[in-house]
Amino acid sequence: MRWNLLKLGIIGLGGFIGAIARYTLSGVAQQMFNTSFPIGTLFVNILGCILLGSIMTLVQDYSYFTPSIRLFITVGILGALTTFSTFGYETVELFLAQETYLAILNIIGNVVLGILSVWLGSSLIRLIAK
Amino acid sequence: MKIEGEGQLLRIFISEDKQWEGKPLYEAILYLAKEQSIAGVTVLRGFMGFGAHSRIRTTKILRLSDDLPVVIEIVDKEEKINTLLPLLDTMVTEGMMTLERANIIVYRTPNHEDE
Repeated sequence: MRWNLLKLGIIGLGGFIGAIARYTLSGVAQQMFNTSFPIGTLFVNILGCILLGSIMTLVQDYSYFTPSIRLFITVGILGALTTFSTFGYETVELFLAQETYLAILNIIGNVVLGILSVWLGSSLIRLIAK
Repeated sequence: MKIEGEGQLLRIFISEDKQWEGKPLYEAILYLAKEQSIAGVTVLRGFMGFGAHSRIRTTKILRLSDDLPVVIEIVDKEEKINTLLPLLDTMVTEGMMTLERANIIVYRTPNHEDE
């Protein structure tokens, strides 16, 4: 129970840092390129994926980081920086396990359904507001 | 130290995040075994598993990767293993311990023949 509460605290602290990093870094990238393409979001997504891939390889192959530090960085900081990194990591893991069908399902599910769900949410609100 | 013949293999299954007096439990067990002059200990981390709570832990899904399974294998003569068991009983509050006979065929260090 105490460890579970501590876990939530660790994730919350990491999330606090990650959310601020996301807001700052995506803003800086967007302003730097001065374009109407959402490059700020792309930048934090790619950065998060590189960091999560590196950290989880250090954990799995070289036994780096204790469970609490791992939780702080991967779920806390990187989770708030971009959940896209979790999606990317889990898709790669499925491909590596030769579960290609599930990997493709994960991509379609997250990308296609994610985009469709934004449209669905928006349409529902417009329908209700009429 | 020379050990041959009948010994015992004690296997302890715990999760990676378990602690004992501020340090990882698997590390505390390893140092306890060293203090007790146990013949050998190996700590292995699994990439997938579940225990009594039936919750699967795996590196494949980030949410389920925060406390991976750890197996500690301890080998020595029966009397040495027996001295460890009561101490381990207080340390391992969650997990599993199994004990089996082990036929020790080889136990040597590189300079064993010089001794």
